[in-house]
Amino acid sequence: MSTTTSTRNRQETASTWRSPGKWLPVAIFVVLGIVAIAMVYPFLWLVISSFKTSADIVTPPVQFFPRRWTFEGYRYVWEQTSLPRAYLNSVVLSAAIVISVLFTSSLGGFVFARLDFPGRDAIFYFILATTMVPFITLFIPLYLVMQHIGLVNTYWGVWLPAAVSSFGIFLCRQFIYGVPQDLYDAGKMDGCGDWANYVRITLPLIKPVLAAQAIFSFLSSFNLYLWPLVILHDQQLYTLPLILAQISQTQGINYEAMMTGSVLTSIPSLVVFIIFQRNFVRGIALTGLKA
Amino acid sequence: MSNQFAASRSAVRGKDLPGRRWRKASPLALGVALILVLFYSIIFVIPFGVSIWLSFQNWDFIDNPVYVGLANYGQALADPSFLHALRVTVEFSVAEIFLAVVLALLVALPLSRLKGAPQQVLLLAYYLPVIMPVIVSILLWEWLLYLPSGGVLNALLQNLGLPTQPFLNSPTEALWCIIVMVVWSYLGNSIVLSLAGINDVPESLLEAARLDGAGFVQQCRFIILPLLQPVLVYIVVTSVIGTVQMFEQFFLMSGPGNSTRNLAVYTYQLGFQSLNLGYGAAVSLIMFLMLLIATVFQVRRFQQSLTY
Repeated sequence: MSTTTSTRNRQETASTWRSPGKWLPVAIFVVLGIVAIAMVYPFLWLVISSFKTSADIVTPPVQFFPRRWTFEGYRYVWEQTSLPRAYLNSVVLSAAIVISVLFTSSLGGFVFARLDFPGRDAIFYFILATTMVPFITLFIPLYLVMQHIGLVNTYWGVWLPAAVSSFGIFLCRQFIYGVPQDLYDAGKMDGCGDWANYVRITLPLIKPVLAAQAIFSFLSSFNLYLWPLVILHDQQLYTLPLILAQISQTQGINYEAMMTGSVLTSIPSLVVFIIFQRNFVRGIALTGLKA
Repeated sequence: MSNQFAASRSAVRGKDLPGRRWRKASPLALGVALILVLFYSIIFVIPFGVSIWLSFQNWDFIDNPVYVGLANYGQALADPSFLHALRVTVEFSVAEIFLAVVLALLVALPLSRLKGAPQQVLLLAYYLPVIMPVIVSILLWEWLLYLPSGGVLNALLQNLGLPTQPFLNSPTEALWCIIVMVVWSYLGNSIVLSLAGINDVPESLLEAARLDGAGFVQQCRFIILPLLQPVLVYIVVTSVIGTVQMFEQFFLMSGPGNSTRNLAVYTYQLGFQSLNLGYGAAVSLIMFLMLLIATVFQVRRFQQSLTY
């Protein structure tokens, strides 16, 4: 009997694939929802753990909810570690990188797409080609160059290599090609120079691509690890990832501090994510993204 | 100035003499070009040149560099540490990309059948790990999930009656631990890209297939997947570039000994820990060449597949 029901079920399934019934999306949603919960679960565990004591975190049997709720970890990282300072460092650096990337990408994209000058295409394809060289190949000599121009152990040294995005210039150029030439010709008629054409016509029209780029450039600059690690020597200048890694490597692992530090570090990215979630999905489809 | 754009268009067609191009070029364009040339000289051309020069030298940061010809490259080919790091890098890339693409398709194909809010909610959940700072993902997996005693995964295994694992403490499991973490981190990205590709498949094609009696699996197999090829190639190419360069995941989550040391970490150690700058430069250049060949090869194959 069980075999007959299962065959009937299978037939029903087959027919609903052809003309989706009402319950099929529900079934898909349930299965994919379980996958989604599995993917978010580690993060929930992290957040809950930040309210546990160190002993509570690692003492078997492992349990989801704290045996005793505590804010000790938060108090500790705020008062006893350089995390607050690192927070400021990271936010300021990321903001500086985002601003310069947006400006140079849009202006560079405009210049390469709409203006003419000797060597334009050569320079553009060269910039595109630089994206093929991994940072690992460049960072040792780049350190030597920075040493030469006196930017080692400064924010400028962290900022400079990230200040212009080759991919960003490429992306904006592609977008600006899509802006009708008539708009620019009309601008000319009204007496717009190149700069006015950039500010008044180009910038408002490429807002979506700039929004997407702002998000991704914020996330990636917030994540920078290797380059700041190499070029910053002074603890005071360390960014969040460096401080957090340091907290995890000090003697006598402090689980509380690690978990609370992690939660605090995630907040800016989460805020950006929540504010721009609509642009996110569109942005990834737009840019491809390499986080 | 007023016929700037007309001039630029004719210049593109190559009718203008170079001298006229200089005179016609706007100050803004020349200024931006100059700044970009300066910028890329400092952060790219000079370092890249120095890297190539260094790879022919022996230098420890202190004494004067000594020219050694191709010795550094020869050394790499016979260096077990280099070959091991190379193997770790390749194994990691292949496994990570294979898992990511397969899992992303398994999720994105059914996900494309949902519309509106349910799809959005799921997408946001899948995307959460991508936006989490990398350092947070590392600490989360290393100290909460993979912890051999008191970790979540071993507690789970115990509840299921399975043997507990040493995870990062085992030279054979450590690399897989990093692979799983990285797949988890970036899966959302591949899902969103695949979904965008699937949504681009014309509904009329699927409708026609349905009229011919094709089920969902057949529609996927014969229509969606072939049309998805450009997206998949894009995912693979960007993933190769991303995974080969991955640093902090390997640097901070390292397994015992050198079991998870990849080329990126090896280069860092040669440059900033053992101060063997010439050899470090040679290793990093070999890595660049391999990446270049892999990318060109993939793009070529992709273009060939598009021509029929």
